[in-house]
Amino acid sequence: MINQIPVNLFRFLLLLLAQILIFSNINFSSFVNPYIFPLFILLLPFETPRWLLMLIGFFAGLALDVFLGSTGMHAAACLLIGYLRPFLINIITPKGTEFEISPNVYAQGLTWFVIYLGIGMLLYLTFYFLMEAATFYNFLLLLVKIILSVIASVVFMLIFLFLFSSRQKRRYV
Amino acid sequence: MYNLLRFFLRYYLFIVFISLEVLCFYLTYRSRHYNQAAYINVANSASGKAYKIFHTGVDYLYLRSVNDSLVAENAALRAKLPESRLDNKIDSVQMHDSSGRYVQHFVYVTARVIRNSVNQPANLIYLDKGQLQGINSHMGVVNSNGIVGWIINTTPNYAVVMSVLSKDFKVSAKLKKNEYFGNLHWDGINSTTATLEEIPKHVPVKIGDTIVTSGYSDLFPRNIMIGTVRDFKSKADKNFLDISVNLSTNFGNLSYVYVVKNLKRNEILTLDSLTNKND
Repeated sequence: MINQIPVNLFRFLLLLLAQILIFSNINFSSFVNPYIFPLFILLLPFETPRWLLMLIGFFAGLALDVFLGSTGMHAAACLLIGYLRPFLINIITPKGTEFEISPNVYAQGLTWFVIYLGIGMLLYLTFYFLMEAATFYNFLLLLVKIILSVIASVVFMLIFLFLFSSRQKRRYV
Repeated sequence: MYNLLRFFLRYYLFIVFISLEVLCFYLTYRSRHYNQAAYINVANSASGKAYKIFHTGVDYLYLRSVNDSLVAENAALRAKLPESRLDNKIDSVQMHDSSGRYVQHFVYVTARVIRNSVNQPANLIYLDKGQLQGINSHMGVVNSNGIVGWIINTTPNYAVVMSVLSKDFKVSAKLKKNEYFGNLHWDGINSTTATLEEIPKHVPVKIGDTIVTSGYSDLFPRNIMIGTVRDFKSKADKNFLDISVNLSTNFGNLSYVYVVKNLKRNEILTLDSLTNKND
């Protein structure tokens, strides 16, 4: 078993840099704000205890907040998906599936991953945009923004996964 | 018993979750009130440094040194514009003033944008100059195309600007052709559009009319470009027009801006406090 700490630490740094230097600078449209940083929390090992998931989520989100100037909002959203992740995995995984150490796109399959990331990001961005928009009440625009941003985020996350996932764990069923 | 224990374990996690969320909400709430943002200052110093390093690479594309000298020259020229002067002439019945007719009213400090966004409900712009370069809160920020925002926070070497594209931004603006003034704020949706309010219905407005700063606030000199009228509506239940304005500043590609220092601001503030005391 490879030690998971350096791998996850490296992934944290890589995603943080990618988020603040590239994805938060895209400014493509005010409706498409891709966030790929939450992938860090979604890819933590399956065995991570829930209290640790929450703490990691909170502090990782806070680190992102410092750079994006959005104090507390990403921390709140990362904490939310850290807390809900075990439920989500339970719901979408068929009973009797063998797990790798961490979620892996080659082991779990593309469909599982799209659903996993899609629901995860829907929770994340809905929560985040609602917090951000606290004083706006244009729900239709907000809804469009959430949906487009979830799609963009998931697409970029999948690109990231295919670039950086280790193929050795691939299982031929 | 085991089930009971498990229930408490779950419950305990939920309590931790909720209390951390409350902490997050508290941080968010606090950071939205810019005046007491001691925490954000520390964070901005660190992130400001990081962004500056990143931008030194990116700036190569913009031929930084050439730009630096050009904007410095522009700032000097702007300081000589009539709008930067305060008319110091005293009425003819008064005595003659030996110090000359004009004194400097506004000076401009150039700054480089090291971080910017256009897609948030409150967009902030980070500049690479701060208190050591004489920049303080409540100074206007403009660029060669129009107004950009005002400074809300500074550290010794960095400053944060509340962009026009912020729900809390408001500026006094007027129609250039007939001097009718109103309040301008962002429409919250599009990074190129703002809304001008409080222009009475009887005022003749045409699409394409120029909107400039009124000079009534102590942040901006008068006649700084804001934008042009895109569209206007006259609603039956309102006494004022709804004017939608095309902003002349392109917030998507800001790289250099001028911070406006109002040399007479303290005088106006003193006057304000005197007036309020008398009320």
